[in-house]
Amino acid sequence: MSRYLGARAAQAAVAIFFALTAVFFLVRITGDPVILFLPLDVQPKDISEFRHLLGFDQPVWVQYLAFLDRAAHGDFGASLRYRVPALPLVLHRFPATLELAAVSLALVALVAVPIGILSAARRGSVVDALGIAVTALGQAVPGFWLGLMLIWIFGVWLRWLPVSGFGDWRHFVLPAVTLAAFYAAQIARVTRSAVLDALGQDYVRTARAKGIREAGVLVRHVLKNAAIPVVTVFGLNAGQVLGGAVVTETIFAWPGLGGYILNALVGRDFPVVMVGVFFTSVIYVAMNFLVDLSYLWLNPQVRYH
Amino acid sequence: MRDALRRAAVAGLLVSLGALLLPAGLTAQGRPAQVTIGIGSEALTLMGATIVDWTTNAQLENIYDTLFTRDPKTEAIIPWLATGYKVIDDRTWEFTLRHNIKFHDGERFTAEAVKFTFEYIIDPKNKTHYLPRFKPVQSVEVVDDYRVRVHTSEPFPVLLSYLSLPGPFMLAPVYVQKVGIDYASAHPVGTGPYKFKEWVRGERLVLTRNPSYWAGPVRIESVVFRVIPEFSARLAALLSGEIDVMKDVPPQAVETVNRSGRATVRSTVSSRINYLALETLHPGPMQNVKVRQAITYAVDVDELIKTVLAGRATRICGYVGRFDTAYDGGLKCTAYDARRAARLLQEAGYDPGKLALTLDTPNGRYPLDKEVSEAIAAQLGRLGITVHVQVNEWRSHLDKIINRNVGDMFFLGWGPDLEPVGTVAQLFVGNLTYSGFGDPRIEEMIHRAEVIVDPAASNAAFRKVQETLQPMAPWVPLWQQHDLYGAATWIVWQPRPDEKLWMWEASPK
Repeated sequence: MSRYLGARAAQAAVAIFFALTAVFFLVRITGDPVILFLPLDVQPKDISEFRHLLGFDQPVWVQYLAFLDRAAHGDFGASLRYRVPALPLVLHRFPATLELAAVSLALVALVAVPIGILSAARRGSVVDALGIAVTALGQAVPGFWLGLMLIWIFGVWLRWLPVSGFGDWRHFVLPAVTLAAFYAAQIARVTRSAVLDALGQDYVRTARAKGIREAGVLVRHVLKNAAIPVVTVFGLNAGQVLGGAVVTETIFAWPGLGGYILNALVGRDFPVVMVGVFFTSVIYVAMNFLVDLSYLWLNPQVRYH
Repeated sequence: MRDALRRAAVAGLLVSLGALLLPAGLTAQGRPAQVTIGIGSEALTLMGATIVDWTTNAQLENIYDTLFTRDPKTEAIIPWLATGYKVIDDRTWEFTLRHNIKFHDGERFTAEAVKFTFEYIIDPKNKTHYLPRFKPVQSVEVVDDYRVRVHTSEPFPVLLSYLSLPGPFMLAPVYVQKVGIDYASAHPVGTGPYKFKEWVRGERLVLTRNPSYWAGPVRIESVVFRVIPEFSARLAALLSGEIDVMKDVPPQAVETVNRSGRATVRSTVSSRINYLALETLHPGPMQNVKVRQAITYAVDVDELIKTVLAGRATRICGYVGRFDTAYDGGLKCTAYDARRAARLLQEAGYDPGKLALTLDTPNGRYPLDKEVSEAIAAQLGRLGITVHVQVNEWRSHLDKIINRNVGDMFFLGWGPDLEPVGTVAQLFVGNLTYSGFGDPRIEEMIHRAEVIVDPAASNAAFRKVQETLQPMAPWVPLWQQHDLYGAATWIVWQPRPDEKLWMWEASPK
C-alpha cells in the first residue's frame, strides 16, 4: 500500500508540473500584460520601462525557470494587479467555494441518487419517464439562464431570497440549486443506467431465485455494484465544483475561486492564474485519488500494484 | 462571440420578463442613509496614487482627496486641497494649501503630505501606474507648511489637470511610514468625506461618514461598495433594493428600472469620446485621403445616434469632446452625403463594389459598441462597400491596435477627455497607436502647442490643430456617450460626466 501511495504521489506531482508548465506558456501567448496596467495615454518608452520593472522583458524561458525555482520554494510571487502575494489571495477565496460545493454536492447526492434508483427499479413506469424528462431538462438548461431565472423569480419578484452575495443560509439557496441542477441531472442518469446494468446481472437473478425480496436485492446486491460508475462521475464533478464554479459564482457574486481565477486570466494577472491552476490541479488529483480508494472498498476484487 | 450572444439573450429575456413580472408603483421605504453601490469588480488596492483603474479610484475618491478637482457640471478645474497655484517659471509650480485639514487619524495635512505623495509616485520602487504620467516631476520642495513647489524637467502644463483627476490622492506621510505600505494598502487613511471601516476582499468595502470633513457636512451615513460582477445580477440587485446605485444600466432596461418604483435611471453626457479611427499605419485603401473623406461622408452619425443608441449620445464634430478645454464649438460636422462619398471614391480610383474593408470593434466596452459597428458596416454597405465587422474581446482589441494588425477601421473610446494634452497630443504624435494616423505638420503644431503654459493660448493652438486635422479625415468623430446610472429613488444625486461615484455629493431625500 505504501508503495502504491508513493507511486500515486509521484504521478500527481508530474501531472501538476505539466499543468503548470502548459498554463505558464499558454497565458504568455495571450499577450503582454503590461499595457493593461498602465493608462492608455502612456508613451511607448515608458511602457517598456514598466515592462522591465515587472521583469516581462526577459525571454520567456528565463521567466519560466525563475518561476519554477520560486514555485519549488512555495513562492508564487505577488499578484500583478493587487500587489500582494498571490497564494493567500487565492486561498482566501477557497472557503466560499468549498461551502457552496459541499451544499450543492449534498443536494446532488440526496436528490439525484434516489431518483436514479427509483427510475431504474420502476423502469418504463410514469416515475421513470418523469425522471428522464426532468434530468434531460436539468442537463439542457444552461446554468446562467437557470441562475438568472431563479434570481428574477425568488429575488426580484417574490423577494423571498437575496439576489446575490455571500452570507447566511438564505444566500446559499439559489446558487446551490443552480449549481446542483446540472450535476444532479447527470448523476441521476448515471445512477439509473448503472442500476439497470446491475439488475441484469446473473447474481441478481440468483438472489431473486433464492427468494430475497426485491428491496433486499436492490440494497444488498445491486447498489454496491452500481456504485462504481456513480462514484467515479461524482468524484469528477466534485473536482470541478471545488475548483470553482465560474458561471454560478459570477452570476451570484459569490466570492469563490472560479470567478476570481477567470478574472485573473482576463486581466492577465499571471501569478494569480498560476496559483489558481496549481490549486485546482491539486484538487483534481486529490479527488481522483479518493475515487480510486473508494473502488477498493466498493469492489474488493480491485487490486493495486 | 458566444459570450456576446449569451449576454444579448439574457438582456432581452430579462427585460421582457421584467416588464411582465414587476409590480408597478412600489414605494421606497424609509431607511437609514446607507448607500450600497453595486460595482463590477473589487478595488485592486486601497492605497491612493498607485493603480490606474476606474473601479479602484471610484471607491478611493470617497476616502482621499486630490489637490484640485472638477466642477460637477462644467468639468472646469477647481481648487480642492490646494487653494491655488502660481506658475513661478515654466518649470516650477507653486501650490498653496488649505489650512486646518486633518487626515482621518488626526495627522495634519501640510506641504509634507504633498511632497510625500509625489515622491511615492515617482519612486520606481513603488511601481505606481502614475509614474509614467508624472515623469517630468523632478523634485518637490516644501516652502512652508502651506506652500509647496514642484520642479519639472520640462514645461508640464498638463500637471494641473492631472492633479484634478482621480489618482494622485494625498497620502498621510506619518501614517504610511509608521504602518508601512502593505498595511496602508488595506487600511487607508485620507482626508476625504468617508473613513475606512471594513474591507472584505471580493465582497465589499464599507466606509463611514467623516463627521469633520473640511468641505462641509457629509449627509450619507455610510457607503458600501458591493462586488457584483454580472451586469444583469447588478440590475436584479437594484430592482430588489439590495443595492442603491449602479453604473451602466443597459439601455434596454431603462424602462424596467424607471417603472420599478425603487430606482430611477439618471443620465449624463460622458466626458469620454468615441470615434471610428481610419487606420493609415499599414498599407491599404485608408492611406488614400479621398477614401477616408468618403468614409466620413458615408457614415451617418446622426442616424446611428437615433436608431442604435436611442438618442443616448451627443455628437462631436472635432477630435475632443465638449468638456475639453480645447473644445471648438465653431467646428462644423461633416454632413452625411452619400453622393459625395461615391464621387470621392471614384476620384480615388476605387470601385465601391470591389472594396472590402475590415472594421474592428470591442464588444461591451462601450454601450452598444458592437451594434454601432454593425450599423456602420450597413451604412457603408449602401455605397456597395463590403465591410467585415471583426468583434474582439477588449484585451485582444487593444493588442491588435497596439501591434498594428487591426483592420482598416477600428472603434475606440478615449476618456476622460478634459484637456488636449491628454487627448489630441497623445493621439496624433509619437507612435499614433490609438488614432492610426499621423502627419508631420500636425505633429509640429502639437509640439508647439503642448508646452504653452498659458491656458488661453494653449487652447487656441489646439483648436487650430483640430481645424487642420478635419480635412485630413483621420477618423469619423462620433460622439460622447450618455452614461446611464440607476439610483434608488430616495437618493438625491446626479451622475457626473467624469464617472465619479462621489457620495459626498449625495444626500437622502
